[in-house]
Amino acid sequence: MKKWPFLLALVLFFPGGISAAPYYEGKVIKIVVGYKPGGGYDRMARLVAKHLPKHIPGKPSVVIENMEGASSIIAANYVYNIAKPDGLTIGTFNRALPFAQLTNQAGVKFNILKYAWIGSTAVEGTVFAIRTDLPYKTVDDLLKVKTPLMIGCTGATDISGQFPTLLKEYIGLNLKLITYPSSADIMLAIERREVDGRAGSYSSLKPFIDRGLVKPFIRGRVPEKGTEHLPVNEDLTSDKKGKAVMFMFSAADLIGRPFVCPPNTPEDKMKILSEAFAKMAKDPQMLEDARKAQMEVQYTSGREILKVINTVFNQPKEIIAEFSKHVSF
Amino acid sequence: MFEAFIDGLLMILTWKALLYLFLGILIGYAVGILPGLGGGTTLALMLPFIYKMTPGEAMAFLLGMHSVVQTAGDITSILFGIPGEATTVAMIVDGYPMSKRGEAGRALGAGLSASLIGVIIGALVLLFSVPIVRPLVLSLGSPEMLMVIILGLTCISSLSGKGRRALLLGLLSAGFGFMCSLVGQDRQAGILRFTFGQLYLWNGLPLVPVMVGFFAIPEMVDLAVRGTSIAGKLPEGKLTKGVWDGVKDTIKHFWMCVRCSFIGVAIGILPGLGGGVAQWLAYAHAVQSAKTDEERAGFGKGDVRGVIGPGASTGKEGGALVPTVAFGIPGSSAMAILLGAFMILGIVPGPDMLTKYLPVTFSMVWILVIANIVTVLISIPIINHMARLTTVRGSIMIAFILLLCFIGAYCENNHIGDVIVMLLFGFIGYLMVLYDFPRPPFILAFILGKMTETYYYISTTRYGFDWIYRPKVIFIFALAVLAGAYPFLKGKLRSVVGGNR
Repeated sequence: MKKWPFLLALVLFFPGGISAAPYYEGKVIKIVVGYKPGGGYDRMARLVAKHLPKHIPGKPSVVIENMEGASSIIAANYVYNIAKPDGLTIGTFNRALPFAQLTNQAGVKFNILKYAWIGSTAVEGTVFAIRTDLPYKTVDDLLKVKTPLMIGCTGATDISGQFPTLLKEYIGLNLKLITYPSSADIMLAIERREVDGRAGSYSSLKPFIDRGLVKPFIRGRVPEKGTEHLPVNEDLTSDKKGKAVMFMFSAADLIGRPFVCPPNTPEDKMKILSEAFAKMAKDPQMLEDARKAQMEVQYTSGREILKVINTVFNQPKEIIAEFSKHVSF
Repeated sequence: MFEAFIDGLLMILTWKALLYLFLGILIGYAVGILPGLGGGTTLALMLPFIYKMTPGEAMAFLLGMHSVVQTAGDITSILFGIPGEATTVAMIVDGYPMSKRGEAGRALGAGLSASLIGVIIGALVLLFSVPIVRPLVLSLGSPEMLMVIILGLTCISSLSGKGRRALLLGLLSAGFGFMCSLVGQDRQAGILRFTFGQLYLWNGLPLVPVMVGFFAIPEMVDLAVRGTSIAGKLPEGKLTKGVWDGVKDTIKHFWMCVRCSFIGVAIGILPGLGGGVAQWLAYAHAVQSAKTDEERAGFGKGDVRGVIGPGASTGKEGGALVPTVAFGIPGSSAMAILLGAFMILGIVPGPDMLTKYLPVTFSMVWILVIANIVTVLISIPIINHMARLTTVRGSIMIAFILLLCFIGAYCENNHIGDVIVMLLFGFIGYLMVLYDFPRPPFILAFILGKMTETYYYISTTRYGFDWIYRPKVIFIFALAVLAGAYPFLKGKLRSVVGGNR
């Protein structure tokens, strides 16, 4: 009889003390995507939303929120400044955002190094591809071109415009850039021979390469399965500054599909999420779904990504100045 | 080819595929009616469910859903004067005044039956264009696109209203629309225009909040001022009997309906122009069909032809599938998601779709047709009940409709800026109504403004000024001049004929 008030107190004061429920049980994780539904970032996020829960103790639900705008700077700002660091918000945004910070783009309200980085789920190698019906076989042929090759891009402020600009500047390819509203419009322009080629991520160009519409000629430093044999842009120039700028530019390829949490998210939650991402990237079901959707999954840890960004940020001043000349945001 | 056509039908005539089709229709219906949810977002949400389906089932599910969204969106536009989808704004211009007059049933009947005809024509075009689709799409380069856009812009003259003063006000309104379309980061050089230091404005003014504010807010103010229900004080009997009248109206204007469907198909085939444009051009064509000045003046005040035209523009759905299927190049964000679905199903969109996977392509034709027939059949018995919503007291409806407006605007980007833009354009829209500025020219210029700039830029950087001499460019430009001058020529012609009398 004497013992029961004690027991009651025990039950009252330590309701969860006997079997600790996992933190994520019954919770909802929100992935904020900086783009519209349907694009590469969105498709990857939705694949993650499907497969991530089973690797987190407590099996939380994962939902997607599309927050489009300003090349995903809006989403990045939101995750950095507004979202709570409780491990329930994950952001995914433009892989080139470190450059926005490096070149002091107006509107950037984050420090990319201070996010709690989960890592990246894919490497997005950039390739430069030309129509197959053109008579060029090698890079040397391209260098001899007299009338400029017409290259479709989606703007001076993204990879599709900047990669060819660097080729033009440091390798001396004779290119003329034409801006289209979207990469779908560029592909159609290639089909009707209005433009001769484009630069873009290998994954997005692969269906058109497989179908024989375009052929890749040059790649950035980061290879992907199927692009290893291509000449690397850095090796084609003798300009030291050019090499350095192209190296910096390749950082985005490695960052691929980044996933971050707000700064100061507690260590224990980050450990759970990072481990879950690593496990998910090896999950056969996930890989099968990815293969079906023609996506490659490859996990790069947050620590490795931060190392790359740090190397980029620690370049000498004159190299950063040179970089800013060609890469704006 | 006929064999493939039948195979395509058999692919969806399994009980499972049909079940998914009905499920898709149900979801699409709800999404279309609610202004907040867009077709694209919903498609993306449904994507994870298709991994275990066969191509026939998955297509029935996704395409069935997608193809009824606009049809259902028209219902919201007619009943409440707010766009159910960004592509159903033109429906408001004459549909909502009909509701106000107590003819909601007739407007819905006309709109739905016209959209059914539109879809069927779109599907037929998809069917018959298989052998010629590639050369057709490839023959239109950027300079030709620019000219088509200019042809679209000439509709401003028929959307402005009658008389010199109306035309002037219409041009001013269009000029303002152009200016608003320039907001944001310029595509060519990345220069920020009119962004006032706001990241939110980098992508330009968002379409949905602008349209919702522009059309719905002034109507709500008007409703509040009138202090009645949407349909005013009318005997209820009249309200619910009109559905068949509407269907009869569509039959009466059958050929106009067909022409508007073809306009929709053409806009759909041209990648990048988008569905919003299709409805407006179809509406403008309907306006042009007015034979006398009195008839012309009736548009915007509830002419049934102003409902049939935009309704028939659903032909674009069949058209929009053409570039997606034949080239693997999506024309809209919904089509991009559908393309992702193709890949998951192991189908590679592209030339193979017209040979190896022909039955799959044809099954899409069947889905478009079946889904829309089902939608219309479901709708007809419930339209009467829906039409009764227009007799609910205004003070109750305003709160409900404004809530829908706010949600609809906010869901565009999940940003508070969307709500501010909606309210701001609501205010501008109200002033424009007050001072007799026609609103449709603004919307047309707003949608086409940035495209005009982009394609002019592409044409000139790619071809210098040689593009001006391309025969197709000259031909389409001549059409544009003719279309622009048409209202004046018609006036002249009539006065000449009248003078002889």
